[in-house]
Amino acid sequence: MDTLFEIRASLGEILDIEAGEITPDTYVVRDLGAESIDLLELSVAINSRFKVEVNEDEVFLRTLRVFLNEAREDEQDPLAYLQRKYPFLGEGRVGEILVDMEGGPVLKVKDLMAYVSWRLGDN
Amino acid sequence: MRLEFFGRRVLILGGSCDLAMALAELLIREGLQPILTWRSDAGRERLCTRLEAFTGKYETVHLDLSGRTSLQSLFSQMQHDLDYVVDFAQGDMECLIGSADPDEIHRYVSANVSTRAELLRMAARIMVGKKRGRMLFVSSSAASRPNPGQGFYAAAKLASEAIYRNLGLELAGRGVTTVTLRPGYIEAGRGRTYLESKGREALKAVPLGRALTCKEVAEAVLFFLSDGACAFNATEISMDGGLTVGK
Repeated sequence: MDTLFEIRASLGEILDIEAGEITPDTYVVRDLGAESIDLLELSVAINSRFKVEVNEDEVFLRTLRVFLNEAREDEQDPLAYLQRKYPFLGEGRVGEILVDMEGGPVLKVKDLMAYVSWRLGDN
Repeated sequence: MRLEFFGRRVLILGGSCDLAMALAELLIREGLQPILTWRSDAGRERLCTRLEAFTGKYETVHLDLSGRTSLQSLFSQMQHDLDYVVDFAQGDMECLIGSADPDEIHRYVSANVSTRAELLRMAARIMVGKKRGRMLFVSSSAASRPNPGQGFYAAAKLASEAIYRNLGLELAGRGVTTVTLRPGYIEAGRGRTYLESKGREALKAVPLGRALTCKEVAEAVLFFLSDGACAFNATEISMDGGLTVGK
C-alpha cells in the first residue's frame, strides 16, 4: 500500500483540498490549516485505511512540549529523550523538529507516514 | 407524521430494560435493526422472550460497564458498524452520600461515567468515519431534582449528559448529533418500583398527575432518533409531565 498516496487522499478529502499539492514535507497544521476536528477525522481515516491502532497523542506529536519539559526537568538530552518517546521518528527528523518549534506546530505529512509504517511493522 | 431514518443499525445500551425492549419493537417496525446489550443471562433471556416474535430482526451483545474488557468484543461483534446509539444503561446505587462505601463510589463512577465515555469514544469514531450518526442518552429528572439517596445516580447522569452534549458540540459539523432525554416517573423498571414503594404519593408533585407510560417514552425516543429531530442537538429535553419546573 502506498502510504503517501493514502494519507494524501485522506487529507484531501477531509480538508477539501487538492491532494496532489501535498508532499511529505507539507506541514499538516501550518500549511494545510488542519484543526483538531480534522485531526480526529484523519486519525479515524488512518485507522480505517491502514487497519492500525492510532494513538493521537503520538501520531500528532501532541505531547512534544510536555516531553521537552520532562527532559529539561530530568536534565536529559532532549534529542535522545524525544527519540525514545517517538520511536517512529528518526534521529534526523527529531533534530529538525527541535530547531523548528518556534515556527508553530511541527507536524508534517512525513511524520504521519513514519507513524503508519512503524505501526504496520509492529503488527 | 412519517418518520425517516438515515441509517439502520441501532445500538441500545441497557437493552434488557422495559423501555429498551419497547423501543426495539418500534425500531423493528420502522425497518431498523436494534442491537441490544445484556449484562446477565437473565437479562438476555428476558429480552429474547419479549422479542421472540422478531427473531432475526434484532441482535444481542454482551456488555458490562463495570469492566472495560467487554467494549472491544462489543464493537467486534457489531463489526464496527452502527448508525445510532440509544443509552438506557445505568447501574443502581441508592444511598446517602455520607453512608456510601468508598470502594463502591469508585466502582460506580468508573462504570457509569468512565467506561461509558470510552464506549462513546469508540462509537463516535465509527460515526465520524461514516460521516453520520445520532446518539440519544436517556437521563432522568433526578439529574436536576434528585431525592435524598440519589446523589451518585444524579452525578453519573449529569456527567454522562455533559459527555453527550460535548459530542454533539464537537461532531455536529461532521454529521454526528446527540440529544439527552430526561424522563420523570415512568411506569417501568426503577420508576415503577419507586412509585409502588411510595404509594403513589410522589405523583402528587407531577402537574400531569400521572407517571409516563413505557410506550410514550419509547415513542418519544423514536422521534428524537429520527432525521427530523436532528436539530435537537447537544441539549437536554425534559419529559416529566412538568415535575421539575414547579415547587
